[in-house]
Amino acid sequence: MAASSESTSATTVLYVVVVVVAVLVATVLAPVVYSATTGSGDSEGPSVAVLTLRGGTSGANVAAISEDLRQVRNNDSIDAVVMRIDSSGGAVTSSEEFYLAMNRTAAEMPLVTYVEGYAASGGYFGIAPSDAIYVKPSSLVGSIGVVATLPSSLESQNAQVRSALRTGPDKQLQTIDGVREELELLQNAFVGTVMEHRGDELTLSRTEVSNAATYRGTEAVQNGFADEIGTLESAIQRAATEADSIEGDSYGVHYKAPPQVSTGTIVLSDADVESTNGSIVYVDQREDTGTDFVPPVRYYAAYGIPESAVENQEVVTNETG
Amino acid sequence: MKPAEIARPLGVFVIVIVVILAGSAVLGAVAGGGGGAPTDGQNIQGQSPGQFQPESVNPDVDPETGEISVDADDGTKKILIDTLHGNAFDRDDVEPVVEALAEAGHTVDFAPSGGSDSGGFGSSSSYNATLQEYDAVLVINPTEGFTEAERAGLRTYMDNDGRVVVLGEPTQTSVSGGSLVSSLSSVSFGANDLTTEYGARMGAEALFNVDDSGNENGFKSILATPESTSSLSEGVDTVTFENAGYIVRTGESDATVLYTAADGTKTLETRRNGTYATVVRNDNMVFVSDSDFVDQDEVYDADNEVFVSNLLDFLTSGDKPDDVPETSSEGTPGGF
Repeated sequence: MAASSESTSATTVLYVVVVVVAVLVATVLAPVVYSATTGSGDSEGPSVAVLTLRGGTSGANVAAISEDLRQVRNNDSIDAVVMRIDSSGGAVTSSEEFYLAMNRTAAEMPLVTYVEGYAASGGYFGIAPSDAIYVKPSSLVGSIGVVATLPSSLESQNAQVRSALRTGPDKQLQTIDGVREELELLQNAFVGTVMEHRGDELTLSRTEVSNAATYRGTEAVQNGFADEIGTLESAIQRAATEADSIEGDSYGVHYKAPPQVSTGTIVLSDADVESTNGSIVYVDQREDTGTDFVPPVRYYAAYGIPESAVENQEVVTNETG
Repeated sequence: MKPAEIARPLGVFVIVIVVILAGSAVLGAVAGGGGGAPTDGQNIQGQSPGQFQPESVNPDVDPETGEISVDADDGTKKILIDTLHGNAFDRDDVEPVVEALAEAGHTVDFAPSGGSDSGGFGSSSSYNATLQEYDAVLVINPTEGFTEAERAGLRTYMDNDGRVVVLGEPTQTSVSGGSLVSSLSSVSFGANDLTTEYGARMGAEALFNVDDSGNENGFKSILATPESTSSLSEGVDTVTFENAGYIVRTGESDATVLYTAADGTKTLETRRNGTYATVVRNDNMVFVSDSDFVDQDEVYDADNEVFVSNLLDFLTSGDKPDDVPETSSEGTPGGF
């Protein structure tokens, strides 16, 4: 009786093991089968992807658009990409991220930009590596410069810092000279990028670009900040022309919805999963760290003025109705 | 335990591993044999661009070195730092200058606070009495004018080898107040009446230079270089002015331009390119179109400390008689 029971138990374990193995085998083979099937999807023909960034080059927006770019790069059926942009920039850190993601994409496939509204400051930082930039007369580009937002009284902030017990004289201290040097450093990277990618087209010198003026579309085409007056369709057509694997107008166009910054559907403890892409999981740690420290100085590659300054302005026109 | 009971699970275990490895191999072969683009993550092109490398990005930071040194060859002198004309500077900012003068044995006084009408300087006589005590006057960023009587006293003073240095700034707009209520105010150089008598006045605008070779980490921190060889340019290659305007020479001016702004310097509002005078001298008067370079934060930038040393030597090398200007009360305002 006992022997029979043991035998049955062992058989059950064996079956479980067999099933597990079967699952494992299936798991391993599934991507292969999947890959084989998608491979045959090439018969759909080549295509151009249209990505859209509307809004500032904030960390969240840039993370989302970078994922889109990554997906585009990894999708064999996409041969060129068009970036439709309306962005007046944002923090320098995320604007640089935007540039790096665009630069990488441009290194792998034709990248054409259509400036729907603004591609100013951090927005232009990102589109600088484009193979071609299309604008309309009202598009606004330029503003190649960095601003720092300082506390209203750096002296009083420093006095507070000095009164704290610190390990070194520079700890937490911000000086005007130091901020200027950082601005210069960030500006060098920014202007250097614009000159690197647009230097041949620009009729302006590095110094003139550093004036950080903005230019409307028609001016931009003349001074080299943009290449052509056109529409989104023009940009798509140009991207297709630039792609070796696309002949004539036999190509598809995939419009990717503008990134929505989501908190994700899967929640891992205190962190929100922003998205998953293949084996890459982007996790945005949103937990409250409980510290009261904020950066004393923030640097922006942005066109426009801080909202706090707008609140203080008198309204002198009625153009908004 | 029978060998079969161990061997069977072991066999299954091995099979699972083999299957996974084989699967991976197949996958790798398929991916590698595809001949397509390299997988994302291996291709790092464009992720470390040349223009982001330190040598392209890091700014040249001028070390704040050097010392302010003042000669005491001409004996010890008394220097007056003007505070009677709305002088917009903090005393602690000029401590390095005061320290250097004191180190060389000179005496520095700040004129008593209060307006020129209330501080005992209401008449030319009392102002002259104060001037008599000093060998030189340093006027930093005056925002109020000098009265005719004061100008007359200074004229006599300088005619008799009294030394005067005026440091000014161009008209500037500043925002004051908190985040809810703020107000704009405009502050202008106040001593144009005085300097014009010596053939120079502050220009209408501030200067800027976007070219890295023409500024010191900031487009408004312009560089200036000596225009001619003089005692005030000795040992100086470049000075940096944080808040500079330009000096206009008036009429048939006798004033000599000693420093001009670096090439590519323009006016801030109208973007006019030109050669802009930033330091001029007319005999015993020196006029500089910036006042921040004597501040503790700026005085060791570029060759500012050498320029400041030269200025202090200029201030302390006069030979004014003790009874000049006269204090008799005949010096009525507007009397000439």
